[in-house]
Amino acid sequence: MLDGEPLVRWHWLGDHLGYLADLTADHAVIALVPVLLALLLAVPLGLACARFPRLYQPLAAVFNVVYALPSLAVFVVLIPYTGLATRQTVMVPLTCYALAVLLPTAVDGLRAVPEPVRQAATAMGYGPWRRLAAVELPASVPYLIGGLRVAAVSSISLAAVGALVGRGGLGYLFVDGFQRTFPTPILAGIALVALLALATDLLLVAARRVLAPWERGVAR
Amino acid sequence: MIRFEGAAKRHPDGTVAVRGLDLEVPAGRTTVLVGPSGCGKTTILRMVNRMVEPTAGRVLLDGTDVAALPAAGLRRGIGYVIQQAGLFPHRRVIDNVATVPRLLGWDRRRARARAAELLELVGLPPETARRYPAQLSGGQQQRVGVARALAADPPVLLMDEPFSAVDPLVRAGLQEELLRLQGELGKTVLFVTHDIEEAVRLGDRVVVLREHGEIAQLADPHTLLTAPADAGVAAFLGRDRGLRGLGLRPADSVPLTGLDPAPTPDLDLGRRIPYGGWELALDPSGRPEHWTRGAERHPVPVFVPSRDSLRAALDAALLAPSGHAVAVDAEGRAVGTASRAAVVEALAAANGTGTGAPTPEQVPHAGR
Ligand SMILES: Nc1ncnc2c1ncn2[C@@H]1O[C@H](COP(=O)(O)OP(=O)(O)OP(=O)(O)O)[C@@H](O)[C@H]1O
Ligand SMILES: [Mg+2]
Repeated sequence: MLDGEPLVRWHWLGDHLGYLADLTADHAVIALVPVLLALLLAVPLGLACARFPRLYQPLAAVFNVVYALPSLAVFVVLIPYTGLATRQTVMVPLTCYALAVLLPTAVDGLRAVPEPVRQAATAMGYGPWRRLAAVELPASVPYLIGGLRVAAVSSISLAAVGALVGRGGLGYLFVDGFQRTFPTPILAGIALVALLALATDLLLVAARRVLAPWERGVAR
Repeated sequence: MIRFEGAAKRHPDGTVAVRGLDLEVPAGRTTVLVGPSGCGKTTILRMVNRMVEPTAGRVLLDGTDVAALPAAGLRRGIGYVIQQAGLFPHRRVIDNVATVPRLLGWDRRRARARAAELLELVGLPPETARRYPAQLSGGQQQRVGVARALAADPPVLLMDEPFSAVDPLVRAGLQEELLRLQGELGKTVLFVTHDIEEAVRLGDRVVVLREHGEIAQLADPHTLLTAPADAGVAAFLGRDRGLRGLGLRPADSVPLTGLDPAPTPDLDLGRRIPYGGWELALDPSGRPEHWTRGAERHPVPVFVPSRDSLRAALDAALLAPSGHAVAVDAEGRAVGTASRAAVVEALAAANGTGTGAPTPEQVPHAGR
């Protein structure tokens, strides 16, 4: 840091409000669209794993390995295929990371339905697929939303790293601030990433109250 | 009618759950399977709705081999109630009950209307309809389980220890309710329990099983208690068989002492009748209010001689602080009392020679 440079230059923030809002929106898209995609993949994959348990171990192993890879390395490796500074460079790995979180939660949620509930459903004439769709899946909504909370927050923080490969919403503020030895954008970036994560989490908590009313024990 | 013909189940690991069962379950009656843990009761029950496929023999439902029927359709026509109720946690009570009608293609309105009827039938207040299962007590959940099993009016009801997870008081209430329901509906009920008392209380016929689903005895409750087939059955019935038998003998053999002074219905003041240090307080219509001594007040245990068992009379005498069981009529008005000694005497007479043993027609529930 330069001597004499204040930690935060408030007028810079005031001058760049529109810019900061654009970066935040961009960040939300880059981070959260992959989570939605992962959810759309995790539900059918989870149902298949619950129906055919042998599928689960190999699938889980694949996504665990992906999860273990350092995100920056993955971004760099993807550049030749998706091109530098494209959103896909960041969003493809983020989808995989989110899936690594969501697939196990989907499967655990489906399996967490108590055995008597499953047997009662079978005894009433639900076939295996129909039972999964009508009983196990809806009953596992609270689990899925729990998984979404973890996946969304970690995706928001990982997306910031994407700036290092040229595309990255709020992450760009970190790159910019370091290059210019100018702390204000860095602090603004940190604050906005945290705010975005908090807002997303609160939204999911609210979604859970609406989608799983039996959990809080009050009528919808 | 359900008919097991040499029905056997051998698991892939070699365990023989049921060696080969021949049994007829008559239509419109309650048949209870009772036996020690692991003797194959659940397996036998599930052979009926094909949740277990026999490895030998067959199960006929009204003459048709169930193996020839599509599983889903077969199951929608058979009510199934299990110990932990197994209600869908994410569906409101009313929608839980409406499940099978919905599966059968009824529209939502009609299914819900039917479900509401059933909740009433099993004695649940209407406000429970919109609750979720987790908001109900264990006993209420079991009632919902029974309502759900009955929703599409299936002729056959399979019940696997449906009341064993609730406390004894609630359990007695549920048994009572089932007897009433069965009196109204006349389903073909196959009921599993490992409690012999429950078996003789609910069953028109009781099948005592030993390992591998072998029948040790098949009899009406009274025969079972008075003439166990062999030492094994007798041992299973337990040493307190005399006491268990009480549940089957009517209480009308208990000599009653008249109330003095006798309550008169037209007096609008209540009455107090002295018993030793205690007084029995009756309300103006002659219904017992409480036992009192000084400032103490206790509830009045009662029995209905024409309806209840000797066991109920004994319980009432044992529970009353004064040691006197109060006999009431169907309207709940006191008609007399019986001391512990009097009840025990009646007991001894009923148990003693056997000449005084009631015929099955006199057994309270057999006459329903
Ligand atoms: N899937 C299975 N594989 C192997 N053995 C089994 C299996 N299911 C049940 N058994 C065995 O079959 C026997 C009968 O089981 P079942 O559940 O019918 O007994 P039960 O009479 O209902 O017992 P309980 O009173 O404890 O419920 C038991 O010895 C049990 O261990
Ligand atoms: Mg069992």
